[in-house]
Amino acid sequence: MQHGKGFWLFVAIALFVMAIYNLMPFFWMISSSFKTDIEVTSYPATLLPQAFTTDAYARIWAQEGFVLYFLNSIKVSGGTAILSATVGVFAAYGFSRFRFQGRTALMATLLVTQMLPGVLLVGPYFKMLSLVDLYDTHLGLILAQTSITLPFTVWMLKGYIDTIPVEIDQAAMIDGATRLQSLVHCVFPNILPGLVATTVFSFLLAWGDLLWALCLITTPEKQTMTLGITNLVGQFRVLWSDIMAATVIGCAIPAFFYLLLQRYLITGVAGAAVKG
Amino acid sequence: MFTRKNKNLAMGAAVLMASVSMGVQTVSAEDITITYSDWQLAQEGWGNSLRTAIAEFEELNPGITVATEPVQLGQRDVRFTTAIRAGQGPDVFALDANPVRQYISAGWVLDLTPFAEAQDPAFFDDFYETSLAPVTVDGAVYGVPMNTVAMGLVYNQAMFEAAGITEPATSWEEFSAHAEALTDTSAGQWATTLVLAPAGFDLRAPSIFHSFGASFLTEDWSASALDTPEMQAAFSYVVDMIQSGVVPPGVTQVDANGARRLLANGQIAMTIGTTWTIPEVSTMNPDLDGWNTLRIAPLPTDGGQEISPHTTLYQKSIFINANTEHPEASWALVDFLTQRAQMERWFDDNNMLSSRRSVNESYGPIQESPFASVVSEEIQHGTFLPLIPEWPRILDSFRQNLQDAVTGTKTAEQALADAHAETNEILGN
Amino acid sequence: MIGERWTAYWFVLPGTFLLLAILGFPAIASIVDSFGSVGSGGFGSAYLALLSDQRFLTASFNTALFVVCVVTLHIILGLAVALLLNADIPFKWFFRVVALLPWTVPDVIGGLIFRFMLDPLSGGVNAIAFRLQLMQGPYDWLGDPGWAMFSVIMAETWRGYPYPMLILLAGLQAIPKEQYEAAAIDGAGRWAIFTNVTLPNLMPMVLIAVVLDAIWQCRLFGMIFGMTNGGPGDATQNLSLFVYRQYFQFFETTYAASAAVVLAAVLLAVAIPYIRSTLREKS
Repeated sequence: MQHGKGFWLFVAIALFVMAIYNLMPFFWMISSSFKTDIEVTSYPATLLPQAFTTDAYARIWAQEGFVLYFLNSIKVSGGTAILSATVGVFAAYGFSRFRFQGRTALMATLLVTQMLPGVLLVGPYFKMLSLVDLYDTHLGLILAQTSITLPFTVWMLKGYIDTIPVEIDQAAMIDGATRLQSLVHCVFPNILPGLVATTVFSFLLAWGDLLWALCLITTPEKQTMTLGITNLVGQFRVLWSDIMAATVIGCAIPAFFYLLLQRYLITGVAGAAVKG
Repeated sequence: MFTRKNKNLAMGAAVLMASVSMGVQTVSAEDITITYSDWQLAQEGWGNSLRTAIAEFEELNPGITVATEPVQLGQRDVRFTTAIRAGQGPDVFALDANPVRQYISAGWVLDLTPFAEAQDPAFFDDFYETSLAPVTVDGAVYGVPMNTVAMGLVYNQAMFEAAGITEPATSWEEFSAHAEALTDTSAGQWATTLVLAPAGFDLRAPSIFHSFGASFLTEDWSASALDTPEMQAAFSYVVDMIQSGVVPPGVTQVDANGARRLLANGQIAMTIGTTWTIPEVSTMNPDLDGWNTLRIAPLPTDGGQEISPHTTLYQKSIFINANTEHPEASWALVDFLTQRAQMERWFDDNNMLSSRRSVNESYGPIQESPFASVVSEEIQHGTFLPLIPEWPRILDSFRQNLQDAVTGTKTAEQALADAHAETNEILGN
Repeated sequence: MIGERWTAYWFVLPGTFLLLAILGFPAIASIVDSFGSVGSGGFGSAYLALLSDQRFLTASFNTALFVVCVVTLHIILGLAVALLLNADIPFKWFFRVVALLPWTVPDVIGGLIFRFMLDPLSGGVNAIAFRLQLMQGPYDWLGDPGWAMFSVIMAETWRGYPYPMLILLAGLQAIPKEQYEAAAIDGAGRWAIFTNVTLPNLMPMVLIAVVLDAIWQCRLFGMIFGMTNGGPGDATQNLSLFVYRQYFQFFETTYAASAAVVLAAVLLAVAIPYIRSTLREKS
């Protein structure tokens, strides 16, 4: 498709507006993270640090366990993302490609499980975990997070698989491929953008969770980054510069993962395959 | 000579003692670990004092290791109740007075009376009766009080002098005049603020209502007392004061920390606080020189009359989880943390008064402290908030209605009437 | 369709079982609890009490208002940004990462940050408004019921729109290029191509994005908890916060459970037509 100069100018301006909109709160976070404790709460507020200091970052770095919290978060979020993407892609394929008894009911059930808020579920879930001796473990936390991400993952992936023409799998199966092979070799490459979207979704959900991590993890060394940051917000002292510094670092990690993944957000080969 | 009854009692005590000491012996042979959770562990100063104390405890009790679990105050009940309901949770933990009755009535904490009596029949004699009240139900004591303090008016002497005020107000009328003089909006200075956010509302705002001679509930805690003339006077005083512009904007979001921050930055001259406010505010802004500029006075009262009680009490007590597998070792820790020596350390480190009469009345530094002497006097004029399981819900309904009046969503009369009705509904009247 | 009768279950059941194993017991336990008695009432009395609880009704209204506004804004913004990012632009990776950034902020912390930005004294919003001479003194945004609701909606719009954006961006990638080419050959204008090719192909994903985002926003807790904690009064209290308060602050588990079950039932009733239409076969 041909686009004129005016079109590109419009896209460029719109993208910059979007970038400014998205980055404004980050500007405030980063600016605050370099202020002193007094300046960050002073009135009238300063937009840029008057006395530039990296104390907040030094404190975060020196604080026992913060590096550990980041690693824990990566482990829990990564585990959740992998588990729900793997289980999810099979279920989504099944829902998309087969018409079987109870299909609609099952699809609806997936969503229904998400309609009760976590506040109610966390208590009984804790009881279950303590029966099988899994409380205060990252596995217990990953399973809990997966129970939230999985239904969303299945629904999203089913949507993407629906867009892949059935003829592709059929062609492969006529060539002698099994169901599993056709999923792995034909469908999989075509839904990569969707897989990226769902993986990022699961990762970020587990990354930002507070309630489950708070209730299921008691050993300080096992706690996650989000819990660690909210622990800087006490009734007695709120360390704004530290919170901002920790959040900036905390956002950088998923953003980096996404940067690695975003190249798969490209058109699959579906179009070409249909033609062929 | 023993009477029969006394003999039985003595034998019972001896058996208990033996079992307790045997328990400790088997325990020390096995090398057990107990967990201790306390919101004060999550904060630097308090946390350090507690960790020092626990290290001493471990040295004295070679078989026992104590694992500490810091938790934020706002997240404490979320974590504790989830774990305890599932049969887990820390062996020993600290609570303030608010949720205590809920924990006791749900059976989540052990009755400590047998442990205490086996150790020393006069164990609880040194504690204030006021301090034992929240942790005692039907004669059974479920927690050992550690710190008890009363709320007062914390003010900045330098700002008072600059505004030409020599003495803190004794009546709320005088307080309003001072507030007027202390407010200079163009310089970013206001007189005071109120904690209207949930975190810290419980201790601070209710003190004002108490100092008007008002109560939240009737004496037997069975019905709302929000329709009394005292409460109406206090309620409209508070709303008028906030709307008169002597508090900084944003009062509905101010929590305990926010109020201290405003005081530390010199943006306000007075706030409701107590002994712990001094070290907290001083650390927030070392330039303020809080230990020398800040003072504590009793709260003003309505018309400057003698009203008692006229302030709210805070208390921290230590409890044992009913799910614990190591009650004896847990008791040893509870006992250790609430001993005289530890409480003296709490005052040295954190400016916090003890729940033991002997410490407050005979420990030198407490006697000499200008802060401690005021607050310890005020304990006698303080009262705990109603100790019933419905209280958290009543307090929150009151707080939300107060906010509605402050933001002008409702008139003060309407808001108080609504709070009255809601309270009675919660109490099933 | 392809008819291996039992193969389907092999694909679908592992996920379903995993979900039921984790959530089955907790869900049943809380639903059973919700029918318990409250106060002096008997079976199901919690539901009766809810009907006359003004705070519950306010929270329901707030939830509905919040979800409708936020989801609408999310879909509009998400679609717009997805379309922009779908164009072949230089530094695409940069803009794609920037577009995702708000969503990397954990929601409780997002709430705290917005509360801090809107702080009347030390917040950035007033600082900028003051420098632009838009106002005289500090304005208390979160202290006004109307502005507070507007602010939480704006904050969640900012934080959450990358989610539908990402769903739609991935959806755009699946539209066959041939369809665009064919439309261009027919001489269709840009708008015609958008309405005749892009939208119809994207519609299933838009529906899915609406359903999933709506469920998500109904459950939203952290953002409001961190930002206003439901205040001023109960002007921004939503049902999740109501349930949280009842459960963890007031220890009223039965009452909390019944409020949550009501929320789930309403959600289900609203969601069913959507679920039906997303599952309807393309003929």
